[in-house]
Order: sequence, then structure tokens, then C-alpha cells
Amino acid sequence: MKKILLIDDEEDTLSSLARSLKSNGYDVIAASSGEMGLVAFEKESPPIVLTDLSMPGLDGLAVLKRVKNSNPDAEVILITSHGDMDSAIDALRYGASDFVKKPVGEMDLKIALRRAEEKLLMREKLREYTLDLENMCYIAMEEVKRKSDFQDKLITSSNDGIVATDEKGIIVIFNPGAEAIFGVPRIEVVRKASFTALFPPEIADVFTLMFKKGKHMGDVEWKEVVIHRGDNGDIPVRFSATLLYDGDDIIGSVGFFQDLSEIKRLEQELVKSERLAAIGQTIARLAHYIKNILTGLKGGTYIVNLGLDKNDIDKLRKGWVMVEKNVGRISSLVLDLLAYSRERKPEYRECHPNDVVEDVCELLEGMAMENQIRVARDFDPQIKEVAMDPDMVHRVLLNLVSNAVDACIFDLDSTKEHEVSVKTQLEEGNIIRFDVADNGCGMTEEVKNRLFTAFFSTKGGKGTGLGLLVVQKLVYEHDGSIDIRSEEGKGSTFIVRLPYRDAA
Amino acid sequence: MSKRVLTVDDDPDISIFVKTVLEENEYTPLVARNGEEGLAMARDEAPDLIILDVLMPKQSGIRMYRELRSDESLKKIPVIILSGIAKRTFLRSQEALTEFGDQAIPEPDVYLEKPVEPLELAETVKKLIG
Repeated sequence: MKKILLIDDEEDTLSSLARSLKSNGYDVIAASSGEMGLVAFEKESPPIVLTDLSMPGLDGLAVLKRVKNSNPDAEVILITSHGDMDSAIDALRYGASDFVKKPVGEMDLKIALRRAEEKLLMREKLREYTLDLENMCYIAMEEVKRKSDFQDKLITSSNDGIVATDEKGIIVIFNPGAEAIFGVPRIEVVRKASFTALFPPEIADVFTLMFKKGKHMGDVEWKEVVIHRGDNGDIPVRFSATLLYDGDDIIGSVGFFQDLSEIKRLEQELVKSERLAAIGQTIARLAHYIKNILTGLKGGTYIVNLGLDKNDIDKLRKGWVMVEKNVGRISSLVLDLLAYSRERKPEYRECHPNDVVEDVCELLEGMAMENQIRVARDFDPQIKEVAMDPDMVHRVLLNLVSNAVDACIFDLDSTKEHEVSVKTQLEEGNIIRFDVADNGCGMTEEVKNRLFTAFFSTKGGKGTGLGLLVVQKLVYEHDGSIDIRSEEGKGSTFIVRLPYRDAA
Repeated sequence: MSKRVLTVDDDPDISIFVKTVLEENEYTPLVARNGEEGLAMARDEAPDLIILDVLMPKQSGIRMYRELRSDESLKKIPVIILSGIAKRTFLRSQEALTEFGDQAIPEPDVYLEKPVEPLELAETVKKLIG
């Protein structure tokens, strides 16, 4: 039940009003003077006070003032008589909610009470709304703060350098990552410097262009640049940038910078270790190859010594051939290594290409015959004296013919009559074509694919894996070309075309 | 009858060298040019000793050695590996093959690295087969 404080000095009015209020469902606290009324108000804190205006002692106006002072939300209705107009206006000024005229009519009282209650209700609702609003405001603020804290932390803890500017290009965000990359403390740039002062020209240009083009500029793709930091050294970075919009308005820009020095360092280390591994492999292969040559030399001298001791000419000759052959292998290895490692310009000299090829055939014929391999020649008589690099031709042909002989030796098909054929041909446009063909073991696809890979060899420990590489290098240096045809089990053909100049 | 020694090497100079050392020390040499041929000769001729190179075209000594050691009839023939590659490398290649599912096989009786002295080779052969 709602409490109401009723104050009136007239006994009759007090009791009749009290009755009337009770019948309207109020819990009535009755007081017969202003003083008593205030005591009751403090004690019971009723939300509505109905008080007579003119009372001896504390009158209605004084009660109103004290009540409002004590609880501004309390509704005070004044009971007025004729001639109280001035006081009534004062009362309104002090916050009275309504008046009822004496004698108090039932209807007037009900209306005044309903208005007071409505006001109370509204005020209650308003308070609730305000409270809700304040709560919501608080939650929203917290959320915004949390988000901004989160973003702050995100930006601060990012390993990437993040640099944001406002719409005029003044730097507003400069995270620790950016400090590390640019080697400048944030305090020196934030709100103090424009991006043009901070970024090297190649980055600044991108930002300038971006601001100029606005929406017409697509995303800036990641770019690699080197930032020079004076005494702090250079630093390679990858960067990307974008404009920031609020709706259609540009509100700033942001650039992201990734420090690439660690990646670059690892890359270099990898390349270095790969190179070391390759060098190690090369040396191992060469060492193995040389060990074989040494064994051949040792064997040769051993047999020569046996021949000398026993006066056995046959052994002497056999041992000597071995020594000569292995000395030849060493000089060939050295020449291949030099040819492979050195840039060499062809030295054009007058020569007879057919004679050069014949030299090569003679050189290898001994070994070929030892292995029952025939060396067939087919030289084009139209080829006369020309200017080309005879040493180069010799080196190329020597490698190709000895490969062809090896291909026959490695071929296990004993039903074949092994043959290496060497052919020369004059072609249009001052070109001489050299064909070296064999009917030996041929090559698998895998071998063909790796033919010009450094230190790749199918000859077990007896190849350096350099020969064809040297051939290719020399042929290219001489502006020539090389073609290969091969079938496993059937044999291979190497075709080299070299341009020549007319002899003077 | 003198003992027979099979030498397997693709380098003819080394074959001639080993063959001469063997002849000088009164053994009967047999010569094969690669693993395939060597294995066939080992089966046909049942030599008293095999001297085996490692890096050869066609079948390598790495494979041939495993086959020798897994074949009941050949397993007991002593083997000298004579190669330009280091013993460590050879043993590692054998370990790798074992790890790939092959059975473990014993180390070769003797491992000689090229270049070899004729005297050392002769003494090694003598020690193994008398």
C-alpha cells in the first residue's frame, strides 16, 4: 500500500480526508501540525505529502521547502483556500506538484493524487532509464576501451613496423617495430614529422601517389626496399601500404614494414652451406678420380719395374702404356678443370678442321682397339683451311670421342660389333657440323636430363662429371650449338655445329 | 694348383695392375669389369678370394658385396674391397641399405683404399688365403 502523509490543523478536515484517502487505498499517516508532519516525514519517508497551506507555526510552504530539501522526489500537494493565490505561486516555485481547493472535493483530490502518482512513476522510470543509459554507456565505454587497448597492444607488440599517418600525412602511430626498423624513437616522429621526412624516397613516393590517387589507387603490393640508417647500417624490408577511409573520406594512411634481415641472412647462409656442400662433393669426386689415376700410375710403374728386373720387354711396354695413359688422364683433367673454371674467348686461327679431328681419332684409337672398338671416319673433303679455334675443336672432339669409346666399353652386349664413327660436314652459312656416333650402351631419359649437370657421371669412379659440361661451355663460347640423340641399348649421337671464318 | 683370385674393377689399368701383382705372387687371377659380370664369375668359378671395387657402372660394388654376403654358396669367400672411396663412406652406404629393410651384413674382411702399394696388396692376399 502506498504511504501518504496528511497534514492539517483542522481536526475535521484531517479525519474526513484521512478516511477518504484510506478508502482510496492509501496507508495514511496523519499529522495535525507542520512540525509533527515533518517528524513523521523523516520517519516514514512517504512519497506523497498532502498538506494544508495555512497553518499556525510551520505552514504548508515551510513544510514544502523542508520536504523538498529532504527528498526532492517527494510529491507535495497543497490544500489552499480563497486568497492564498500569492502563496500558491510561491509554492509552485518551490516545487509543489498540485493544489486542491478547500473544501476538498473527492474528484479534485483523486485527480491531484493521480497526477502526483504519475509524476512519481515517470520520475522512477526516468531514473531507471537514466541508470540503464549510464550502464549502457559504461559498458560501451569499456568495450571501446578494451578494443582500443587490444588494438594498441596488437600494434605495439607486432613484430612488423606499423606507421600510420593522418589525412595530411603527419605520423600518428609509430610502433616499436617501426622504431627498430627506422632507428628513430617514436617520440621524435609522432605528431611531429610527415612521412616524407621519415621514409626513404622510394617509399615516400608510394605514399604520395596513394594520397594523390585516393580511391583510384589499388592496394600497394608488397615491395622490397633497403632502408639506409646511416651509422645503424642498412636494413632490407618488405613493405605494403593502404589508405584509411571513414566512409568516402580519406582519414589517413598506414604502412606495414617487415624486417627481412634475418630471412636474408638465413638465405645467404643456406646458399653458402649449399655451395660448401657442392664444393665438398666436387672435391670428393675429384679426389676419387685422382686416386684412380694414381693407382693406374702406381700399377704402371710397378709393371715397368717388373719388366726392368726381369728384362721382360713385354711387361715394360705394357707398364709404360699405363703410365702414359694415366699421365694423359691427369693432363686432360687439368685442362677440363681450367676450361670449366675460366672464361675463355675463342682464339681464331687458321687450321684444317678435318686434321684436328683426325688427331683426336688417332689419339683414342689405341684405347678403342684394345677394347675391340672400330673408329670410323667420314670427313667432308669440301672443308678447306678456315679460321676457328683449333684447340677448342680438339678439346670438344676429344671429350665426345672418348665418351663414345666409353659408351662402347660399358655396353655389355657382346654380340655387337662396336663402332665409333666421326663425321664432318660443311653446312650453309659458314658452319661445320661434327657428328660423333657410337653403337654403345646409350642413355636413359634420366641420364639425358642430367647430361650437363656439373659433376654428374655414369662412369663410376672413372669420370669427373666435367667432360660434357666443358664441351657445352666451349661450344657456346664459340657461338655453336650441340644436339644429342640417344637410345638406351642402341647408342648415342652428339652433333656439334660450329661457325667458322674464311681463312685470310 | 694355385689359388684363384677374382678381381672386379671397371678401370682396365687397375685390373692389369692387380692381375700382375697376383701373377707375381703365384695366384691365378680372374678379371671381371663390373658387378654383374663379377657375380656371375663368382658363381661359375668359385674363387678363393674376391677383390672388389666399389664405384662401377652397371652394378656397383655396394650391391655386389651385399649379394655375395647373402648368397649361401658365396658367403664364405673372403672379400677385399679396393676402392677410391673411404671405408667410412662404404660402411655408411651399407648401413643405409640395412636401414631400408635389407638384412645386416658383416663388414668386408679387408678394406684397402686406392692407391694401394703392390706389396701391401700381396701381403693382404697372403694373410687371407695363404
